[in-house]
Amino acid sequence: MNHVLGVSNLKKRYGDLVAVDGVSFNVTRGEVFGILGPNGAGKTTTLEMIETLRPMDSGQVLLDGIDVQREPQKVKQRIGVQLQASSFFDKLSLTELLLLFGEMYGRQVNALALLDEVELRDKAKSYVVQLSGGQKQRFSIAAALVNDPVILFLDEPTTGLDPQARRHLWGVIKRIRSEGKTIVITTHYMEEAEELCDRVAIMDSGKIVANAPPQELIRQLLAKGFKKERVERLANLEDVFLNLTGHSLRED
Amino acid sequence: MRLKIKLMIASFKMFIRQREAIIWTILLPLFMVFLFSFVKFGGIGSVSVGIVNHSADSTLINMLKPIQALKISTGREDEELARLKKGERAMVLVIPASFQPIGQDSLTLYLNAEKPQETQAGKLILQCALDELVFQQNHLPRHTLRTELVNSRNLSYIDFLLPGILAMSIMQGGIFGVAFGFVILKKRGILRRLLVTPMRTNDFILAQVATRLLVLLLQILVMIGAGVWFFNLHFIGSIFNMIIVGLLGGVVFLSIGFALSGISKSEDQVAPLANLITLPMMMLSGVFFSRTNLPGFAHVVTDFFPLTYLADGLRSIAIEGATLADVFPQLLGLAVWAVITLFIAIKAFRWE
Repeated sequence: MNHVLGVSNLKKRYGDLVAVDGVSFNVTRGEVFGILGPNGAGKTTTLEMIETLRPMDSGQVLLDGIDVQREPQKVKQRIGVQLQASSFFDKLSLTELLLLFGEMYGRQVNALALLDEVELRDKAKSYVVQLSGGQKQRFSIAAALVNDPVILFLDEPTTGLDPQARRHLWGVIKRIRSEGKTIVITTHYMEEAEELCDRVAIMDSGKIVANAPPQELIRQLLAKGFKKERVERLANLEDVFLNLTGHSLRED
Repeated sequence: MRLKIKLMIASFKMFIRQREAIIWTILLPLFMVFLFSFVKFGGIGSVSVGIVNHSADSTLINMLKPIQALKISTGREDEELARLKKGERAMVLVIPASFQPIGQDSLTLYLNAEKPQETQAGKLILQCALDELVFQQNHLPRHTLRTELVNSRNLSYIDFLLPGILAMSIMQGGIFGVAFGFVILKKRGILRRLLVTPMRTNDFILAQVATRLLVLLLQILVMIGAGVWFFNLHFIGSIFNMIIVGLLGGVVFLSIGFALSGISKSEDQVAPLANLITLPMMMLSGVFFSRTNLPGFAHVVTDFFPLTYLADGLRSIAIEGATLADVFPQLLGLAVWAVITLFIAIKAFRWE
């Protein structure tokens, strides 16, 4: 069985609003799967149903062969989650937090190794409030890795970060991918999806409107005779920005 | 079990690393006791008497002056009567021009109608002094009083106040500590993050409760210790009994805290609710002042306040050396409240 995650016909409505309208997709072991879409497309709701945080109206989610609705505790053991707006306890150091989160899974983790993974070893004794935005997101990923999950969920991990911090986080995510971890990531930055994802599903108004590797989607569009009104220049404003301000992080 | 212990250690660590929490739960109550230790409530005080002397003789005034229960001032008749009307004097004595130490003169005594206790005592003293003048002249036989000094265990205001403040800080710690703490955890998405881990939510709540009860223990020990060493507290009770009553009170107020955090979405919603519950109890449960002066109806209602049970229980144990059997009514009252509030807390508490 090659699918770590199988989602079929998932539905969720809030009153009159259909937030998720029959979503189906599979995620293969070792791939980075992106869920793209504008704000309010239903990305986060979909993710939260998979993560056991929100009851589904109908449909089925199989994670590592386990039915999410029937055995949520088993699913929680196997997933690593970075929530969109998750924060951590105030007065515990990063090391103490990772050890405590490890205990929640019945594991004694190597906190420093996890911090190395996200390049935060020098902040081991700091509190989360003392971290910059990018460092917080990286720590959040480290906390999602304490149980060595079969699948890692990242919900808009780079929203609100400056270009340098975003690129740095991409580096961290790529390294985790290179270690063979399956990752599901939501974003509304297309260049991010192109950079990181093996395959993307594009969501709009609760439905998946496309599901393929990024290059394939681009090819399909061009094959339909699509032409950009303005021909792409060889550099864009972000390149200018990074060229002027450098790629190095500004967070200390 | 291992996780439970780790959670408790973590939550206790978080508490002691929070400077504001230490200030609110331990230092502030001590500071209040310190401030009130300067206040003197010396029994009935003295009776303020204005004397208007129209005679040339001052024997009577000289005799009255050394009496500590009286506060003598002399002046013109119109001035003194005006002061009586303003309430500055309890009584005004007018000595007529014809007054002699020996005689049958009629002296006028104006009494402040609003101060019956003071005027009664003052009137007796004045009459006694007049009789004494007569006795010094004709030495008729009379009864005598033989006096003897006895050292007594005089309870001060601090003895009344300190157990009350202790009860109050247990209430504040429980209600504000938990209600604010959980609402912040909820609002900032920390509880949500915990929900995606396999940890059982009850383990987390248990750790929070354990930390709070440990802090409560600390409050009792610090308050009583500081009371005995610095504030001359006449503590004759058992610390163990204090802890039993304190813990039971703690359960009541923690439950109220959990219930409030369940029905509120933000700190702005918690604050007024918490104040609505704590302020009336702070004022009316006999923390600062004895409830004996409350009017009948209020007295009956405040009898049933959980803070009344806690303050009365702690106070009886601390300064009267009451046993657990002696404070059974208070224990029962707190136990009933614990059942009620725990039930509400379980119904109202929400993780999200």
